[in-house]
Amino acid sequence: MIEVESLYFKYPLANDYVLKNISLKIGLGEVVGIMGGNGSGKTTLIKHFNGLLKPTKGFVKVFGKDTRKESVAYFSKKVGLVFQNPGHQIFSDTVWNEVAFALKNFGFEEEIINKRVKWALEFFNLIQYKDMSPLLLSGGEKKRLCLASVLAWNPDFIILDEPTVGQDFLQKEKLIEIIKMLVTQNKTVIVVSHDVEFIWLLQPRLILISNGIIVKDGDCRSVFKDDSVLEKCGITKPQLVELYEELYPLIERPPVDIVEARSMMLKLLRGLK
Amino acid sequence: MFWLAEGLVYRRQESIIHSLDPRVKLIISLSLFLLSLFSSTIFEFIILLSAIFLLGVLSKVLRRMIKTITFSLTFVIMIFAINLLVGYDLIFSIIISLRFIAIISSSSIFFLTSSPDELDLVMRSLHLPYDLIFAFVTAVRFVPVILLDAVQIIDSQRSRGLEIEKGNIFKRIRNYIPVLIPLIVQSIIRSEELAEAMESRAYGFSKKRTSYYTLHFKRKDYFVLCLNLTLVVLFILLIHLFHL
Repeated sequence: MIEVESLYFKYPLANDYVLKNISLKIGLGEVVGIMGGNGSGKTTLIKHFNGLLKPTKGFVKVFGKDTRKESVAYFSKKVGLVFQNPGHQIFSDTVWNEVAFALKNFGFEEEIINKRVKWALEFFNLIQYKDMSPLLLSGGEKKRLCLASVLAWNPDFIILDEPTVGQDFLQKEKLIEIIKMLVTQNKTVIVVSHDVEFIWLLQPRLILISNGIIVKDGDCRSVFKDDSVLEKCGITKPQLVELYEELYPLIERPPVDIVEARSMMLKLLRGLK
Repeated sequence: MFWLAEGLVYRRQESIIHSLDPRVKLIISLSLFLLSLFSSTIFEFIILLSAIFLLGVLSKVLRRMIKTITFSLTFVIMIFAINLLVGYDLIFSIIISLRFIAIISSSSIFFLTSSPDELDLVMRSLHLPYDLIFAFVTAVRFVPVILLDAVQIIDSQRSRGLEIEKGNIFKRIRNYIPVLIPLIVQSIIRSEELAEAMESRAYGFSKKRTSYYTLHFKRKDYFVLCLNLTLVVLFILLIHLFHL
């Protein structure tokens, strides 16, 4: 459980707060989307979840423990953060060692490390590259490697910063499957993204941030209904929501994915005949 | 770490110093730099540093200048400690440390108040080869970018359980490997991309380069230049009077 209470944050010697009066609770088994314009404070917020940044005022607690009281490593074991740019983390000589790095830092036993690394590489379809330099992988593979290197230590919370950037449609679909699978294991996945279509397919609890303030926090269907808030955050609606608004009241709710949209359309067409 | 990057970056601002010809700013910075090399008493450094901070106030960059000094404080402490350890007395060690601070802050006057474009123009007015100018200006431009990269890499590795400040000195040096490798790789990738982008915009096609902006001395530039010269002469006289 992550608890954020009246969080204010500003960088040292800066004048303005980047985050203002943020309060929220995120439990286990949730999918949470965080959206907002550039510079709205999304990344600053998620960096508080594993203690990389400490609140200027207020507090952040992870499983009841204040992030100011323990090291980043302590919280990272529970909250895995996957950053946007794989280039900012890849350094090992082989793909295998890249995944094993964090596990060694956390002090897992050799046997467990081997088991977890093998599992993660197989799961992300990277096992055939295990002895290769990670720098030689393609952009998409590097991104998967970063995800594998975090999932390998089995954190309870997984935070993904812009996971869809530079990924093709198939990879996005796979990512959605992975996220849904993680949730069935009672993990929480927090996704920071600009990609509304991707967010819609996840059907998450959606948090909108603008200028360091949470302007909306709720079920993504209700959030995407609120035109004024969406405009404030510079977010467009997902195509499936627009389709629903065009056809309302012919269909009763926005379809959650293409498959459902298709069956709704077919039903509608049959009705028209 | 993030906020430190700010102390090294030029920001577009309005002030008396910003509006001066960059050559004048360079001369002011250089004269303060040279004076701090030749000063040898605490009293002289107090005058020099007050002059530097006054310039910082006039150019509205004092806060960022202090950040730069804070950034270099580790080196200052190191210099101070090494001097004491090798047997110099306290006063001398303080003077050497103050000299280092004066050198850093005097050069930051120029870099905090002149844009990379102005730096380019100044170097061109010195008739240096353009490839050299370009390499230098690009290096200056890339300092904040690389610093930001470093901050993000450190965040990313700390999130994977790396504890940089843990262990003995050798362990700590080793801890920086996961930070340095991505930093170097990113820099190489970036320079390659930059080279390609420049070539696709015909860099090096024509031998003679023209410039949209040209430098012209204005009345206030001459005035500041004279003032600078007078103050430097006065300061040197003062040093000699004290030594006599």
